[in-house]
Amino acid sequence: MADFFLQALAQVSSPAVLLLIVVGVLFGIVGGSIPGFTVTMAILVVFPFTFAMDPVSGVSLMVGVFVGGYSGGIVSGVMLGIPGTPSSITTVYDGYPMAQQGQPGRALGIGVAASFLGTLISVAVLVFFGPLIASFSMNFRPWEITALIVFALTLVAGLSNGALLKGLLAAALGLLITTVGYDRNSNLRFDFGLPALGSGFEILPVMIGIFAFSQLMGNIEKLRDEKHSSKRIDTNVSIPYASILRDMAGQKLNTVRSSLIGSLVGALPGTGGTVANFISYDQAKKFSRHPERFGTGTPDGIVASEASNSAVAGGAFVPTLALGIPGDLPMAIMMGVLILHGITPGPLMFEQNPVLVGAIYASLLIGAVIMVLCQLMLVRWFAKISLIPQQILVPVVLMLCAIGSYALNNNLFDIWVLFAFGILGYLLWKAEVPLTPLILGVVLGNNLERQLFRALELDSSWLTFLTRPLSALFLALAVASVIFSLYQNRKIQRHQRQAEDLAKPSKEPPHAA
Amino acid sequence: MLTLTKDRALALAMLVLVGILLVETGNIRPPTSWQPYGSALFPRILLGVIAVLATLILIRSLLAGAPRRTTPRRTFGEWLALNRTVLALFALFGLYALLLPLIGYLAATLGFLVASLALLLGIDSWRKWAINLAVSFTLAPLVYAIFRFGLKVWLP
Repeated sequence: MADFFLQALAQVSSPAVLLLIVVGVLFGIVGGSIPGFTVTMAILVVFPFTFAMDPVSGVSLMVGVFVGGYSGGIVSGVMLGIPGTPSSITTVYDGYPMAQQGQPGRALGIGVAASFLGTLISVAVLVFFGPLIASFSMNFRPWEITALIVFALTLVAGLSNGALLKGLLAAALGLLITTVGYDRNSNLRFDFGLPALGSGFEILPVMIGIFAFSQLMGNIEKLRDEKHSSKRIDTNVSIPYASILRDMAGQKLNTVRSSLIGSLVGALPGTGGTVANFISYDQAKKFSRHPERFGTGTPDGIVASEASNSAVAGGAFVPTLALGIPGDLPMAIMMGVLILHGITPGPLMFEQNPVLVGAIYASLLIGAVIMVLCQLMLVRWFAKISLIPQQILVPVVLMLCAIGSYALNNNLFDIWVLFAFGILGYLLWKAEVPLTPLILGVVLGNNLERQLFRALELDSSWLTFLTRPLSALFLALAVASVIFSLYQNRKIQRHQRQAEDLAKPSKEPPHAA
Repeated sequence: MLTLTKDRALALAMLVLVGILLVETGNIRPPTSWQPYGSALFPRILLGVIAVLATLILIRSLLAGAPRRTTPRRTFGEWLALNRTVLALFALFGLYALLLPLIGYLAATLGFLVASLALLLGIDSWRKWAINLAVSFTLAPLVYAIFRFGLKVWLP
């Protein structure tokens, strides 16, 4: 362990890689601080720049973006009262009131410190649990892996904004996209006579098309529908270090609890920073001696929110590295980077590529330190950058997506794939179909088919999936997650109906009573 | 007459897709004697799942009835006017993909950036034009330089 970590640390500490981490963190913070841009979009934009790099450099750059992105949301949350990313929504609850009370520097400082500690604790969780889960999953045979992928997909689909049927449909559609082209037996499928479809679709243009177009076009629609008042903010912020140290000294338990919640929630497929954010804020409020102060500008709220969403960074790596199953969209893209460099994430990665695993650990740690330094030194600039209008961002990001897709194989067909999936992603988004299960389906499709047929070649009976204990357990969990999701949906609908019934009398004209 | 809601349109589109692809699976080579299952099995399983889910979405949508309209029904012209920016941006991107191999990266990218920034920012003041041209003429060469000289990736 120490041996490969030292090797990795030596590689990551080289000036070139350190510079990449700095660039990644800076870009991540910028991406996270611009409302509506999100961590995922920042990662997608940077992804193409890793093509020509060696795996350690590419992964380090991406990890930098990841760490910076999760902490970037605090800037616009505190300064503008608008969460930069969905995972920093609860930061606004106390960060913005504190800034309004004339203490923006204190709010930002507490948030950055909590982000830093959250990342560190999550790395500890990753270092401890990653190899454990990986060594346990070494015993998985094709039946277990197939069942595990099915479970992950149903879990993600079930957590998709209460739209279980559409979530499952999206996952199946994502898997179907991976069946285009030559299969494992060199048989051609769904090529419709087009030679370009013979090798199937590249993951990258498909992912970028589905996610980026829907989000960017959605941002354009929001601009149309909302009356935006251009906010003016005072970016003259200074960080009161002594006060922050005092604040953080009283937040030990809150920091550890929120970081652990973030790490554990991050390790669950389909949850991510937003869920972690709300759970830890809620728990901090429940455990607090002064719950009435939450929402008025208390440090407890900022710490809970920022420690948890930054801890997702390390936690989300656990299933990706140990099982080869990405938990959320940024991780799906991260997995794409590894696949692009010929590395298959999964339990064997710890044996076959220990230095790369160590490089991820080291990049997370170094990235966290760089994030703190950048946030504290450049906070005024980030506050200014967070005001960049979407009208400028959208064309620039679309151009970068196109060039990134082309640069993958120097192939113009990939730009058309990006465009086609962009239209598909936008239409599905308009139809309120969740896109995360679709992208996870695209990422996991080939592995699912490979494992399924390996299992069937070893034993042609489908019943074996139910007679092997672990495989049966995963399938039972998949069914349970669907049932639980149905139950949740019913509960939400019942509450909505009750709320409507309560609201009805007030809508009636006075004489109707 | 039934209203075409989002869910119904989605379900019907999925069922049409399933129909087309199911026919297409007939063109996939059948399994050989040593293969227990052929290459068409996995896509057919997925198409079956999609068909079932789309049918369930359709049934649920029909049972729920059409949602009560809060806004008056739009004509096609009104819908087009409302969504013209997004549609124009898609069209510009398509044009960009088309022109990229014909006129090269720099010219196509400059054209795309200037046109799409003009579309989104507007062209009603010198300040907007200045921002547009500054962003376009800075970013296009910068990205070219990074890919071409930094990452050694050839652009068209």
